[in-house]
Amino acid sequence: MLTVEQNEELTKVGPGTPMGELLRYYWYPIAFEEDFDTKPSKSVRLLSEDWTLYKTPSGKYGIIGEHCPHRRASLTYGVVHEEGIRCGYHGWKFDMDGNCVEQPAEAENENFRARVKAKSGLAEAMGGMIWVYVGEAPAPKLPRFDVFVLDGIREAGYATLPCNWLQIMENSVDPHHVEWLHGYYFEFLGQTQGFEAPKSFQKKHMKTAFDEFHWGILKRRVLEGHTEADDDWAIGHPLVFPLFMRVGGQWIDQMQIRVPIDDTTTWKLFYSLHHPEGGVWEHQERPVFYPFPYKDENGEFITDYVEGQDVMAWVSQGPVIDRSQEHLGRSDAGVALLRKMFKENMRKVANGEDPIAIIREDHDVIDLPCERDKFGAGTAFTDQWITGGSMRYSPLKEQLLALHRDAAVAREKAKSGA
Amino acid sequence: MVDPSLLPLDPHRLPDPGEWFSPDAERHLLDRPKFCPTCGGSLDDGMITEYWRSDERVFYTWCPGCSWTGNVVKVDRATIFEAEH
Repeated sequence: MLTVEQNEELTKVGPGTPMGELLRYYWYPIAFEEDFDTKPSKSVRLLSEDWTLYKTPSGKYGIIGEHCPHRRASLTYGVVHEEGIRCGYHGWKFDMDGNCVEQPAEAENENFRARVKAKSGLAEAMGGMIWVYVGEAPAPKLPRFDVFVLDGIREAGYATLPCNWLQIMENSVDPHHVEWLHGYYFEFLGQTQGFEAPKSFQKKHMKTAFDEFHWGILKRRVLEGHTEADDDWAIGHPLVFPLFMRVGGQWIDQMQIRVPIDDTTTWKLFYSLHHPEGGVWEHQERPVFYPFPYKDENGEFITDYVEGQDVMAWVSQGPVIDRSQEHLGRSDAGVALLRKMFKENMRKVANGEDPIAIIREDHDVIDLPCERDKFGAGTAFTDQWITGGSMRYSPLKEQLLALHRDAAVAREKAKSGA
Repeated sequence: MVDPSLLPLDPHRLPDPGEWFSPDAERHLLDRPKFCPTCGGSLDDGMITEYWRSDERVFYTWCPGCSWTGNVVKVDRATIFEAEH
């Protein structure tokens, strides 16, 4: 339970708000490379602001406030040049830093031009997505997390959800929901609707722990019948501050991404890298992106797959959870820790310090800790995840099942010396 | 509803009247720690998340002044659980 004010402070992401200022220290994926195959610009919304994202003829990306500082027309309908973008309405031109460099119908007057500056940011491609930074300079480096840059088959399901991003992040430090929502409830659905629910999610939690570390919170669990020597405890997996959760198992490595579009909208992606030991795959030019549905034709939540169950929980909590009305228990310790970390880092930013989980040095790849043997389920886990999760909507589903099954056979052969 | 004069001054606000758990929200405002147990600084700009552990009300508290983080537990009854003997 929080006060009304604390809840608002934690959930408002617009410019000038404490959380908005903190969130502007980070990079966000906001579009796909393929969005620019047929047109050079696209309207996007991020942190309660509207932006125009564009690609120059030579392939550089730029981002600028969508509404022209002149008469507020959309720059998305502008002319993209190599060194910036020109408004379609009266031809004002802006460079990639948002400086106004031409005002064609105005008298040549540098004073007027110098007074006009559009909001702008940085944009880069990584992992098939366009990432943007819209905070103050100097920008931190775009963090090259392993899932986005390692070789393998990559695919991602995405959806735009009508809820605040924080309630999705809080779900990431709530391990108990797994055995109930994805275990007990899934089993109930299976029994009443006549399908086989995956069993690996049903194990009881005996112990959970949360460790703060540079990238966020490392989450650990001991499940019934397991010990602290098992991967779920010995390695665990991280919430990566402030918008990711890294999960994985059996060479499916996934980054769950929660982009705060505005206070009540989140762009949600399940970005997966498939690279099984013993597997063989052809080089992939680009990841495959596909929408995953979360409501049926009657407007009801689709709950017969793992991520659909999560979406039901997040969205049914309301556009913004009223945390002055909640009743947390001791199993919500991770949720309390996460809120503390947000508040702590808001204060750092207010004091002019860098918050956690940013990197200012050049780097090739950031390897994140993540368990390999998930829930002790072995290779059955890959089948269950692909068929029982949002990957069931992937255009690559059959290819992925075959990749992991063939790789498991190859590993067995190698182990037996055959 | 408690007497509004007992509640902390603005800017603290309560949920809309009639919400199910308004009484608990009121108690939260009244009972949450106001000063850090370590440095004595104000917790007005701290982070205090209340959760329940059986009958106990636990305030997970972060002090913005000294960064102390810990649980402050509201005790209404001293209870001793005897070890097996």
